[in-house]
Amino acid sequence: MRKLNDYTKSREAFDRAVKVIPSGIYGHQGPAEGCYVPVEAFPLFSSRAQGSYLWDADGNRFIDYMCAYGPNILGYHDPDVDAAAAKQRAISDCTTLPNTVMVDFAELLVDTVACADWAFFAKNGNDVTTLAIMAARAYTHRKKIVFFKGYYHGVSPWTQKIDYAGVIEEDVMHNIYVEWNNYEQLEAVFEEYQGEIAAVIGQPYMHGNFMDNVLPATGFWQKVRKKCTEEGTVLVVDDVRAGFRLDLAGSDHYFGFEADLICFCKALANGYNVSALCGKEFLKNTISSMSYTGSYWLSAVPFAAGIACIEKMKKINCPKLLDEQGTKLKNGLLEAAKKYSFDLHVTGAPSLFYLRIADDPSLKLHQEWIAECVKRGVFFTNHHNHFINASLTDDDIKETVEIAAEAFEVVRGCHPL
Amino acid sequence: MKDERVLAHCNLFGVLGAIPYLLELDPAARELVNEKSLSLGFAIKDGPRATLRFANGAAEMTEGIERCSIKLYFSSCKKFNDMIDGKGNPLPVSGFWHIGFLLGAFTKLTDLLSAYLRPEPSRLEDPVFFERSTVLMLHVIASAVAEVGNYDRVGSFSASNIVDGVIRLSIGDTLSVGVRAKDHKLTAIHTDPGEGFSEMRFANLKTARDLFDGRINAVAAVGMGEVRIGGMISQVDNVNRILDRVSLYLA
Repeated sequence: MRKLNDYTKSREAFDRAVKVIPSGIYGHQGPAEGCYVPVEAFPLFSSRAQGSYLWDADGNRFIDYMCAYGPNILGYHDPDVDAAAAKQRAISDCTTLPNTVMVDFAELLVDTVACADWAFFAKNGNDVTTLAIMAARAYTHRKKIVFFKGYYHGVSPWTQKIDYAGVIEEDVMHNIYVEWNNYEQLEAVFEEYQGEIAAVIGQPYMHGNFMDNVLPATGFWQKVRKKCTEEGTVLVVDDVRAGFRLDLAGSDHYFGFEADLICFCKALANGYNVSALCGKEFLKNTISSMSYTGSYWLSAVPFAAGIACIEKMKKINCPKLLDEQGTKLKNGLLEAAKKYSFDLHVTGAPSLFYLRIADDPSLKLHQEWIAECVKRGVFFTNHHNHFINASLTDDDIKETVEIAAEAFEVVRGCHPL
Repeated sequence: MKDERVLAHCNLFGVLGAIPYLLELDPAARELVNEKSLSLGFAIKDGPRATLRFANGAAEMTEGIERCSIKLYFSSCKKFNDMIDGKGNPLPVSGFWHIGFLLGAFTKLTDLLSAYLRPEPSRLEDPVFFERSTVLMLHVIASAVAEVGNYDRVGSFSASNIVDGVIRLSIGDTLSVGVRAKDHKLTAIHTDPGEGFSEMRFANLKTARDLFDGRINAVAAVGMGEVRIGGMISQVDNVNRILDRVSLYLA
């Protein structure tokens, strides 16, 4: 049995944090939203990262399957991306006039992403999903937006729900929710709100929390695409999470359809801070007419990092590599689960796998297993999809499976058959 | 924005609904009704109806007003809410001969309940009072979560996202109550529901109190380990959203 991690320094840092930062660590990287159950099993702060590894404040090393919740696609501190960023930093970054590297990056995206005729840059996924919705409304002069249940499109009020703190009814009164993969329901909504729907926005497949992730049914996206075209509705693909892990040309390309607008962020520059909205020519003038900008949106360093990241992803055929490594890990975990008679479900794409022990619908058993993995140095989270990065080696996968098996053994010991 | 009807539900089933637990906790309250065997019906126009039955120093609340000794009628939810807020007196429409109970023992009982639910800060220094007050608040909150989840427009949106199963709410080893979700309708459970489908456990009475009074935040408390969550956390998440609405109604 492996030695279990100690998190004394993480805890000390959190005690300091909670005095000066709301909730200590807010958002998805915090212990509440991150579903750290029990909180003592999880590290709270990191000290450094390299490749597939993350070291916490106490010096414990983790094989990190959250990859900063997606940005780490080539490995932390990828030498090629870091070199390109360092080179650009020595020249210029945040300046009065943008550097031409911005144009280089836009050209590269237009050449890479199947549906892209142009690219607009910002910082976070939420910046570009919001721009996409505003653009759809500006173009169509309509108000309603259709969402697929289980969605996550950021944190702006329009992306949230009526019962979220700080959200008012008017923020979400034009939101319409339909079941994922339920085309008939979507069609009914178009019938009910004829001529009123500005956009349909969706992630390429359903990667919601607390439930197995669900790929699109055969022909689903094609029918959605056709309907949007017929109704003059803008089809927005939020590829912030899955982008470049399925297909460098965009996840819409992977599933065989074409979005009007596609949003990227996380894996776009291997952790350098940039997001992009790409789209079709007919929406370019609309975007041009909008007042939408930010202090750091045209900084040059992330553009240089993004170029290096995309070029390297192309060179190594990143989606294929991630799929292969993700599949190896999936098979290893399934085998380990089977050995201890657990019904582990691994769903979604192998490069963004979602885990759930299905023996216990309350998920308590699952939470016990995840906690035992984390305590032993594999950073999984309970109810969010995971991410594979290109630096993950076969040895890392082997070690992960060994730790997962040990964790299964411990949990089975507490819950004998 | 408060909906008077939802507030009436909270006041009836949450606040007055806590009287049975007050009788369990406080001998002085029990003393007030020890010899009484009668029932008090609350009929609120366009609002909820319930009967509080007293017998042998205990009480129970049930929905409906059939066969009650005294029937109190309120012409609107607002009138009932005003009464709970101390701005009006109830008038019986039947059972006049029990008016002595209404103006005597029952009024004293509700005064006592108010003292626990809206306590003077100095009284909370008494550990016995502190525990009773906090336990009663948990009972009120459990009922109010169900009422707000079922009747408030925003609360029912949260309830629509709650999967079936029991959410167990505990204060250390002192008390456990629950909220049962079934087809997105919520029911309060005032006894230990056993292992829930999900749980939210406050470390101790002080943590619970601080949360109820808004002195600490649940998200921060989870990080500090003072509140434990587990199981189907989406249930807990949605109950927390309803709790935010409950605080609007019961502030």
